[in-house]
Amino acid sequence: MFLRLVWESIRRSPRRKLMTVAAVALGSAVATAMLGVMLDVGDRVNHELRSLGANLLVMPKAASLPVEFGGISYRPVSTANYIPEDAVPKIKSIFWSLNIMGFAPSLRAHTRIGSSAVQLTAPVEGVWFRRPVESPGGIRTLAGIRNFASTWKVEGAWIDDSERNDRAAECMLGASLARRLKVASPGGTVDMYGAPFLITGTLDTGGDEDDRAFVRAEVLQRLVNRPGQMDAVQVGALTKPEDDFARRDIKKMTPVEYDRWYCTPYIRSIAHQIEEALPSTAAKPVWRVADSEGKMLGKVSGLMFLVAVAALLSAGLTVWSVMTAMVLERRPEIAIMQAIGGGAWLIAALFFFEVALEGAVGGLIGSLAGAALIDWVGRSAFDSSGGIPPLLGPMVVAVAVIVAIGGAANPIRRALSMEPARVLRGDA
Amino acid sequence: MFWRFVLSGLRYRRRRLLVTFSALAVASALATVLFSVYSDLDRKLRGEFRQNGANAVLAPAGDSATVPRGAVEEAERAGVAAAPFLFAVGRLGGEPVVVAAIDFGRAATLTGFWRVEGERRAAPGECLAGSEAAKHFGLASGQRVDLDSAPCILRGIVTTGGPEDAQILVPLGSAESVSLIQIRADAPRLPELRERMARKFPGVDLRLLYAVTETEANVVLKVGKVLFLLSVLILTITTLCVTTNFSALLLERRKEIGILKAIGAGERAIASLFFAESLTLALSSTFAGYAAGLVAAFWIGKRIFPSASGVLPGVDLLAFFPVAATTLTVAALATLLPASRIWRLEAAQVLRGD
Repeated sequence: MFLRLVWESIRRSPRRKLMTVAAVALGSAVATAMLGVMLDVGDRVNHELRSLGANLLVMPKAASLPVEFGGISYRPVSTANYIPEDAVPKIKSIFWSLNIMGFAPSLRAHTRIGSSAVQLTAPVEGVWFRRPVESPGGIRTLAGIRNFASTWKVEGAWIDDSERNDRAAECMLGASLARRLKVASPGGTVDMYGAPFLITGTLDTGGDEDDRAFVRAEVLQRLVNRPGQMDAVQVGALTKPEDDFARRDIKKMTPVEYDRWYCTPYIRSIAHQIEEALPSTAAKPVWRVADSEGKMLGKVSGLMFLVAVAALLSAGLTVWSVMTAMVLERRPEIAIMQAIGGGAWLIAALFFFEVALEGAVGGLIGSLAGAALIDWVGRSAFDSSGGIPPLLGPMVVAVAVIVAIGGAANPIRRALSMEPARVLRGDA
Repeated sequence: MFWRFVLSGLRYRRRRLLVTFSALAVASALATVLFSVYSDLDRKLRGEFRQNGANAVLAPAGDSATVPRGAVEEAERAGVAAAPFLFAVGRLGGEPVVVAAIDFGRAATLTGFWRVEGERRAAPGECLAGSEAAKHFGLASGQRVDLDSAPCILRGIVTTGGPEDAQILVPLGSAESVSLIQIRADAPRLPELRERMARKFPGVDLRLLYAVTETEANVVLKVGKVLFLLSVLILTITTLCVTTNFSALLLERRKEIGILKAIGAGERAIASLFFAESLTLALSSTFAGYAAGLVAAFWIGKRIFPSASGVLPGVDLLAFFPVAATTLTVAALATLLPASRIWRLEAAQVLRGD
């Protein structure tokens, strides 16, 4: 009987039910989209922030104190300590390997560089440009300075070093170095180590790279006779902004705290894991980058949180007011049930069941539509699609049901407390 | 007569209208907040970005090896933060070490990312040491550092992950030229600054740190887009909320409309009656919502963008007009959409109770 009443109610006024369901669906769609975007936006902005550059620098432990500025070294660089080139891909096999967005090893040297017009001493870096590598865990990835070059201005072409070739006489010059050498770029040549190198392109970054020359790692290793050696590795990692817990001294942590710290992608825990993977190295956070990242992420997440609260408020209000209006409209129905002897509890249960049903259906449709909206926002703002986080769908449906019942509760209570005769006569 | 209708219409349905009123007020409050935040998101975020260190460097160009110190004042006249750095190789205990002379006062805003143990700046006769340099030479705070050029007392140890880690940092004296000048300028100022510097100091090159400038621009752009899309969503849902309310209202007032029709009122007259009612409601809720929105925007400004300049952070008084326009449009739409019922309503049927 109970279910028949509900069923008849739906069957006999499908349009009105549809309106209510549509309103709930729209409300929950907005709520889903909002929460989805909010939960996701930090991650996406974090990816965007990777273009700030490497946030970790790995150096051999106990390397001598570097004495250099403006790209010129004032003391011969000690070559006693180095990072073996073969070991570099191990960076991609640490606990947080998925958070390692890029890494680029380099070998550093200084030499006389000459063009037809000018001779000068400048730093040369032997680097991977974009090299396919496989980590011990079997993860294939492309590593090299192009991982960090999304904001660099390149004139000419990148050196293609997907195959090793230690005889390739190609180089790229920093924009400022190219200007000082007065060479035609690309297409000109410079002399280094007694041999001509073809300039494939120039790099303009605004940073130290502007004063450097870049060649393939294996070429410089041959020229300076340091086969298989690297001096530093730049690493770009997705990290969680530092909080008070992250700043604590790990030596004073309990084992449980240490595990929590180790399993959180703080910049220092990733640095710690890299040091474990590459013995006798020191991984240092580059605070200029890491700090900016943390601050920007904090702002953006704060902002999104507030907008989400606003959206949830308006979505909730919509569902609430639709339910209120619906019950007010159906007061005569309630009065008739009361008049023919329906108990208050039974009538209330009937209505609440209906409302909950509408809330559930609306919430379900809404969370599906919301997933589409998340995708839309993701694609229009970040050029990449997004999906609905798991658990968000069921959560939204549950909240939709609760809000719908909440909106209906007060008018139902009021309708039940009214004299049926007055309602039916039309005095109410 | 017309306004008496409207006003008593509002007065006799207080409870029902309260829902509509609050929906509209929430709509206008949201519009105020979103508009306030969105309209100068650029300026607010840039205020925050100023804490992120330099985004450009004045470096020697061509054959010159130094930058004239006058460029600092010139840059400051252009309204940007600038700090000179002078590097030299000193000797400490017979070993070479890079000594960076810094104008600590000016550099303070550009070095917020430094992790420092002890003091952040050194007075004449004092110095700071990079963490690696300190470890290498076994230096501790309060100790005397026997630099060959000028011995100093160590006041703090700096960790940055950058070149500073291997340097000894001393206060910059009265040098006429420096190695480089770090700049933090709001992004739109940079081209103008570049031109100005090129004119006055031909031997100097303004290099933009693209990694910083482009990432920041990108973040502003994308966050702005997300905010805009979400604002559109929020306003859509609010319109819907108000529409349902008004159509329920019309449904409830069928009898009234029936009577009005029965005594000879035209559909247009009735529609304009409702229209005036909803606009009156909208206008009053706009004021309420606007006031609430300003408070919220002020709070957001203080919480999220503490470093954005301005007397009332986050508050945009000019937001009222777009907000009022939005709310009134929402109310108008919400009334007009269900208004077609007025035309379809048969007076006799309604009054008979069918």
